[in-house]
Amino acid sequence: MAQKYARPSPGEGFTARRMGISGDIQAMTMVQKFSLLRSAHSIRPSVVLQSPTYRNEALDAPPGPEGGCKAMRKSYQVWIPIFLVCLLTAAASAQSFQVQCPTSTITHPLTGTNCDTNPLGPGCNNKSPDYTAPTYTSGQGYDANGAGHVNGAIKCQQISGGDGFATMGDGTQTYLFAFGPLSGLADMSNGLPGTQSPNVFNTAYSGTFQPGDPATTDGASQSPYSLGNPNLFAFNGAVGLAPETYTDPNTGNPVTVMNGHVDVRQIMDVGVLNGNMPAPLMAIDEDDEFFLTLTNVGQVMRPDLFEQHTVHFHGYPNASAFYDGVPDASVAINIGGSFTYYYLAPDAGTYFWHCHITPPEHLQMGMVGQIYVRPRQNRVPVGISLYGALDRQQHDLRTRCDNNDILCSNPLPAINTGATQVAGRKYAYNDGDGSTAYDVEYPIQIHGFDPNFHFVGMTFNPEGFTEMKDKYFLLNGRSYPDTIHDGPLATQSTDGAMHYSQPLSSIINIPAGGKALLRIADLDVTEHQTLASLGIPMTVIALNAKLLRDQGGNNLYYNTNSITLGGGESLDVILDASDTTKYPAGSVFYLYTPNLDHLSNDAENFGGLMTEVRIN
Amino acid sequence: MRTTNMNKKIAKTQLLVALMVAVALLLTPAAQAAAPGITGPTFNLTAQPAFITQPDGSFVYSWGYGCNGAPTAFAPAAISGGTCPSMQVPGPTLIVRQGQTVTVNLANNLPARAGNTSILFPGFNVTTSGGVAGLLTQEAVPATGAGCVPATACVSYTFTATTPGTRSYYSGTQGDLQVEMGMYGAIIVLPSTVPSACTSGVHATNLTAKQPNQVHAGLEGDFRLEAAAYNHPGACYDREYLFQFSEMDPRIHREAEQVATCVAAGAVTCPANMDGVATEPYVPAFFMINGRSMPDDMDGNYAPQYPHQPYNGNPHMHPGELVLLRIIGQGRWQHPFHEHGNHVRVLARDGNLIQSATNPATNLAGPLLFTTTTTPGEAIDGIFYWTGKGLNWDPYGHAPGTTSATCTPDSNGYNTGAPGAINYFEWCQDHNKPLQATPVGSVGAGGPITLPNPNIFANGAWYGGSPYLGPEATVRAVGPTGTTPPSGTVANSPTDEAGFAFMWHSHNEREITTNNIFPGGMMMMMLVDSREFVIDESF
Repeated sequence: MAQKYARPSPGEGFTARRMGISGDIQAMTMVQKFSLLRSAHSIRPSVVLQSPTYRNEALDAPPGPEGGCKAMRKSYQVWIPIFLVCLLTAAASAQSFQVQCPTSTITHPLTGTNCDTNPLGPGCNNKSPDYTAPTYTSGQGYDANGAGHVNGAIKCQQISGGDGFATMGDGTQTYLFAFGPLSGLADMSNGLPGTQSPNVFNTAYSGTFQPGDPATTDGASQSPYSLGNPNLFAFNGAVGLAPETYTDPNTGNPVTVMNGHVDVRQIMDVGVLNGNMPAPLMAIDEDDEFFLTLTNVGQVMRPDLFEQHTVHFHGYPNASAFYDGVPDASVAINIGGSFTYYYLAPDAGTYFWHCHITPPEHLQMGMVGQIYVRPRQNRVPVGISLYGALDRQQHDLRTRCDNNDILCSNPLPAINTGATQVAGRKYAYNDGDGSTAYDVEYPIQIHGFDPNFHFVGMTFNPEGFTEMKDKYFLLNGRSYPDTIHDGPLATQSTDGAMHYSQPLSSIINIPAGGKALLRIADLDVTEHQTLASLGIPMTVIALNAKLLRDQGGNNLYYNTNSITLGGGESLDVILDASDTTKYPAGSVFYLYTPNLDHLSNDAENFGGLMTEVRIN
Repeated sequence: MRTTNMNKKIAKTQLLVALMVAVALLLTPAAQAAAPGITGPTFNLTAQPAFITQPDGSFVYSWGYGCNGAPTAFAPAAISGGTCPSMQVPGPTLIVRQGQTVTVNLANNLPARAGNTSILFPGFNVTTSGGVAGLLTQEAVPATGAGCVPATACVSYTFTATTPGTRSYYSGTQGDLQVEMGMYGAIIVLPSTVPSACTSGVHATNLTAKQPNQVHAGLEGDFRLEAAAYNHPGACYDREYLFQFSEMDPRIHREAEQVATCVAAGAVTCPANMDGVATEPYVPAFFMINGRSMPDDMDGNYAPQYPHQPYNGNPHMHPGELVLLRIIGQGRWQHPFHEHGNHVRVLARDGNLIQSATNPATNLAGPLLFTTTTTPGEAIDGIFYWTGKGLNWDPYGHAPGTTSATCTPDSNGYNTGAPGAINYFEWCQDHNKPLQATPVGSVGAGGPITLPNPNIFANGAWYGGSPYLGPEATVRAVGPTGTTPPSGTVANSPTDEAGFAFMWHSHNEREITTNNIFPGGMMMMMLVDSREFVIDESF
């Protein structure tokens, strides 16, 4: 019996979860159950609610209902997609979905007390702590009880890789290959990142997921603008996370744990056709560990493709090839599988991420999103000198920046402005002089769609890369005037359900006298894009997630009226509305593209890359 | 030329490409790159037509500069088998020393109807002799016989290489056509003085690490042209590469070929010149790095199967090595060249070092970019490295009890005291930090991540077989076959190289295609190799 199924290869542990639909597979997993349970038991914690890092192959739930076909619930108008959904959910029964969000790691050990009642307390890893000292000074090796503890927190997110539909500025519904959210759904429908701390992520949904959630529960009934209430759906945890019960072989008692086991039906109900444009927003803090689970739910509209997906974190310094998301250089996740990417947060800045499978196709089709990293300077206690805090960073070799490292960009500033931390103030980078402070921040993802390519992408026709030409121009997945529509934008997909396809507007609201940070990234696959500011000048403070400062500590920020980005580039801009005479409350300015042909929605001659800047 | 059934072709072509990669690797041993070229200071060049090849089997009629007779010498000396054909794309890389007086003699052997040609050397103060006056510079008329017949078929350009750096050269005649047809190249000026910091300290130790030692028995040569790009301590480097980016619209090349080879007979008349070859609309189908598309760019320098495309793009490096990237935009379009794995510190543009206003002799001021966008005609010099600093797990899979490897940090936190060790330049803060929670192989346990069953993955051709770097770590973690059935990977085997592969490519993703076929175009794989693997860039 053991010969029918390969044992886990050396190095992989007891990780994949398999649910068989045939008797043979079920029988084999019984064999594996016993052999693995024997060896797994010695490392398995017997306490509940702890460490989803340990996954045990023996804990198979019975197959059956979760793998069933839900054709009866669907509309009669969508026969073929129903059929395909049935096929996929049947295939998904033999799946390896799981999530990982440990509450304790060797980098961030769980040292807090009463974390159940006070989850944001110190040592609970749910909140990035204040930065008061360099995290690691001894410079050598790693000590389980001392050095090596990096004073951040743990952040987790789950996303689906599949397809979906979006609404363009001229009302056209366009097919996407896309990532969709499988965590932080409530936050995302309010335009926030979908990243959560473990106490939020590791909760099971008490209700029943409806296909199209959160749009369905919110009552979105009209495309494109949701007329529902984005606050009805309030769940932010990992979709599908469900407790798992097994029998402790020592005591014979049932043990229930939350260890990353997921309910497949919940994942497929929410994940199929829930692609977002742009892909789910991610935000973490420096010193955090980030666990991103990618779950490949398949592409309903393209049953000819057994398409893998990956996540490439673009621009991460000293990235690892294994987690770099390039399929030729590492591994790519097949349909029915989950893969958890792991990174200690890179230096603060505006990065972005995208699929790296057949990039000319997958990026054009919409698998692009933003991730930004908040600086530890945000966590400096009130009243402390920012220069002093940056100086402390120089005492940890990992965060030190001087001429010994030619690729670091935030050395101590040449001038000590004496700036100290103010309550609630946020910075874009560890500037040490307060020069990157802002009041509000907005991610802006620039992209372009070629409608012909999206059509052939849905209909199995040959794709012409040389003729690729964008006709829709998107800020955060929408074209003007949708860019100034507040609230999520919903699109009806071929499964008959409404989905929040484009949750982010691009309205820039600046409090009167304040500053806005624009985190601008571009992943267009064919041409450069320019974004200009009519009214409020732009101050560019960083390029490619690195502060504009030279090795002498001089700030090299520059003022401009427009920025131009090619695919694969990002920068940070501050819109400074401090002068309330020039920029009084109630005034409206514009961000738009002086590539005037990009100010269009295909044949509509006004639209495209444009949005409003509102002084409140 | 459009082909049908693209989607199927993508899948088939991926197989075909993988097969071609495998065959290519059989034909030429694993080859790396460098910045090879010819030295002068007098260069005798010609301009000629020839056909260059593309991975889809196309032969594209092109024009390019080449050597008119044997060059003075080839550089670097460590690369053997150098050739300088009479036509190549890009043109020969001219390597000179700061302060030298450079003379470039050009003979025009383009087809008669192509008309005059010339070379521009932006960034230099050029004096000319011979030829005829053109709009931008002196030009050479089409030759009708060998040896400067007529005399104006040859022209000379003379300049002093006053400052170091990388610059482009290209045709100054009917540039919209001639540059597109392939008339471009690079000129590298090496500094006359190199800072002592670049030949001592860690850069000297890096050279020691190339000697045969307990880790590898072979000598790893020094393939640099120099130890620094500029006379500035920030410009030291341990390895260097030259990448030139360009595109081709096959329609333009076809029409130029038709005009060039047209034979008047009866009612058929031939155009007198190339003015009728429309260079708009411009729809390139081929996107090249150093004149070749992926995967051809990863074959060796001077590979015999590309007689007119001698230069390649196949970067390798060891952790901690400072790598100089000489990046030039040729062709007509900008290309956002994205380097996976880390940022690049821009040292200079067009040979102009970017220095801080404060202590310029020690402080650089160029931007840090993870996407070094090329602009037509512009050259960028930049520094890149990879060390795994801040990864938060030990990429060598060290763990107490499984290996005896030690990591002794220097003042920057790296293990530089042992140039003979596998983990030379390891980032010591992460030494012994496990990645995996419960591995079966003998790498550290207790880490934050549980890896899924490898049977649910698709493995890439450059996947070393495990998350870890180097054969020693990979075999300890997953065994000699890695996790890639049936017998290891083609291009980065678990027992031989097992490096970390990073894709370096144009981020206008449409450009990583060859004639509508993915993968192709402006793409190459950069390998970070452990010290167990000898990086041999000699061919």
